Parts: sequence; C-alpha cells; structure tokens
Amino acid sequence: MKDIIKTGLILFIISAVAAFALAMTNEVTKDKIAEQRQMANELAKKEVLATASSFEDVTGDDLAAIVAKFAPVVEVYKGLDDSGNVVGYVFKSTPNGFGGSVEVVTGIDSEGTLSGVRIGNHNETPGLGAKATDPSFYEQYAGMSTDTPIGVAKSNPTETDIQAITGATISSRGVTSGVNASIDAFHSINGN
Amino acid sequence: MNIKNLTNGILKENPTFVQLLGMCPTLAVTTSAVNGIGMGLATTAVLVLSNLAISLLRNFIPSKVRIPAFIVVIASFVTMVGMAMEAYTPDLYKALGLFIPLIVVNCIILARAEAFASKNGLLDSVFDGLGMGLGFTMSLTILGSVRELFGNGSIFNVSIFGAGYKPALIMILPPGAFLALGLLLALYNYFQIRRAN
Repeated sequence: MKDIIKTGLILFIISAVAAFALAMTNEVTKDKIAEQRQMANELAKKEVLATASSFEDVTGDDLAAIVAKFAPVVEVYKGLDDSGNVVGYVFKSTPNGFGGSVEVVTGIDSEGTLSGVRIGNHNETPGLGAKATDPSFYEQYAGMSTDTPIGVAKSNPTETDIQAITGATISSRGVTSGVNASIDAFHSINGN
Repeated sequence: MNIKNLTNGILKENPTFVQLLGMCPTLAVTTSAVNGIGMGLATTAVLVLSNLAISLLRNFIPSKVRIPAFIVVIASFVTMVGMAMEAYTPDLYKALGLFIPLIVVNCIILARAEAFASKNGLLDSVFDGLGMGLGFTMSLTILGSVRELFGNGSIFNVSIFGAGYKPALIMILPPGAFLALGLLLALYNYFQIRRAN
C-alpha cells in the first residue's frame, strides 16, 4: 500500500513538473507563434498580389454569399494600395487533390489577370503531387488571363492551359479547380 | 565514460539496419535525402536531451512506473522544442515541423531511455544518444538518397541521371520504402557477415 502511494506520488510529481514546464513554454512562446503565423499569412497574400500594400478581410454576408456560391473558396481578402484603392483580390480555396484537400491561395488583380498562385497545407504524395509547391509548377499560373477557365494539359499546353505535373494529374487538376473557382468568384465580385 | 558508447549506434547497433527500430518514420519520411537528414537530425537532438534527462532522473523514477515517466519526459521535451522552434526559428520549423510530432512516437527514443539511459551515467547516456542519433541520421539519409535517386533521378535535389531519365515513381511511393529498406538490409548484412568471416 505504502509503495503504491509513493510510486503514484512520484509519477504525479513528474507529470506536474512536465505540465508546469509546458505551460511556461506555451506562455512564453504563444504570442511569438501567433505573430509568426500572422506574418506568414500576410506574406503569402503579398506573394500572390504584389501590388497591394495591405489587405482587408472580406467578412460577414459578403463572404458567406461567395463561399456558398463558389465552393471550394473559403476566404477572400481585398488588396489595397497605399491610398486605399482596391488593386485586386486574394482568394483562399481548399479543392480536393489526391490525398485530401489542398490549400490554394490565388491572387487576381483588378485588370483580371492572375497575379500569382501559391500552395499552402496539403497532403499530396511527396515527390509527386507535392511538387505543386515548386515554383516551376505554380509560376505557370502567374500572368494568365481570367477570361476563360484554366485547363490542365498533360503535354503541349495552350495559352489557357497549364502543364500538369508528371504522374500527378489529379493534384494538378485539384489546384486548377481551386484557381478556377477563385476566378469565378472574382468575376462575380467585379460584377461581370 | 566510454567512447564505445558513441560509436556503437553508428554501425554495430545501428538503430535502423540492426535494431530495426523506428520503422514508421523511417519508411514514411525517406522520400528524399533532405527529408532523411532532417528527420535524423531532429531525432538526434531529442535523443540526446531525453537521454540526459532520463539519466539524471534514473534514481528518482521507480521501476514500476518507468515507462509512463519516460513518455511524459520525452513528450514534454518534444513539445517544448517544437514550440520554441516555431516561435524563434520559423524557417527551421517550416523545414522540420512535419517531423517534430513524429519524434514522440519514435520508439528509438523510448528504447534508449529504457535500455541505456536509465542504467548509465550522464556523459555515457549523452554519448549513447548522440551515437544512436547519428546512426539513425546516416541510415535515413542513405535510404532517402536511394529512393530519391531511382524515384526522381536526383540526390539532395541535384540531378544525377539527367533530364532524360524516366523516374521509377514506385520508389517514392510507400512500396518503394519497403523495397529499398529490404535491399539495403540485405546489403548491410552481406557486408557484416563477410567482415565477420
């Protein structure tokens, strides 16, 4: 009996010390981590819409209407220049790839040109679908027109197509469907 | 202290090729040489720290509850290292972030705590952790290199076979992990046996 109490007490002490150390670490690092995540988020938006100097979240009914109509778009940001004029929009969408949903960030400027696409969190196969995060893939989207939906070609892409990743057509199509949904949402916001 | 504790883990008791420990991360993350080395080094850091802590606490932890006590210590360490890395070295965290939670469930850490650190002194335990970690890093890097070479035609993202090479995608997919590991194990044993004769 005495042994059990002693053993339990020691395990309790170890767990309590560990919990305390974890709580302290969390307390010290949580603001910094939130700041880093925020910065990474801002940076991703800036990368796809370089002409904007700040971003404003689209919220409330406006967002709900877009999300309901243009799935898989989930978040919309308005890109503003220094004097507060709208220079474009950034859309976050979560289309399905090969291994689950893929986070696609799409930037479209006011002229209706794709200013950039980046891939966030994903579960695509390393070495195959995960190559969507390589510049050689996502840079294909930059500069394309949004007048027609973007297609995916396995070889010899035309002006409105992107070249699919070898062996990962499903991932390439997934990303492109997110971009196309963003394009539709953009046209609806811009009123044409 | 004994220098043999350091060298043991690298060849004679290599965690992957001899002890066959930590197979889950070994098979899962070695799709490229860079991933192998990243996982290996992150594991090494945790191994050294956890061996140090367990060795310090070895007379305090009753043997009946040693496993839960080890797990609490290891999991706390890994979580704290992960949080600190995300806060202060975000670039490194971005590269290794995926591997950090995986380290908790890597049985090499628990195996070394149980088999070595709980019975040996501080310096020996640190050396053992370092040696085992480096051995693990080495075998993961080799495995990652082999899979990347045949599955992508490159090692460390440097193209070896040139642009004309048609990659054997199976090497990067999960079956390739088993194939490559099996062949490397056979090769390792072949050389060990030949050396012994």
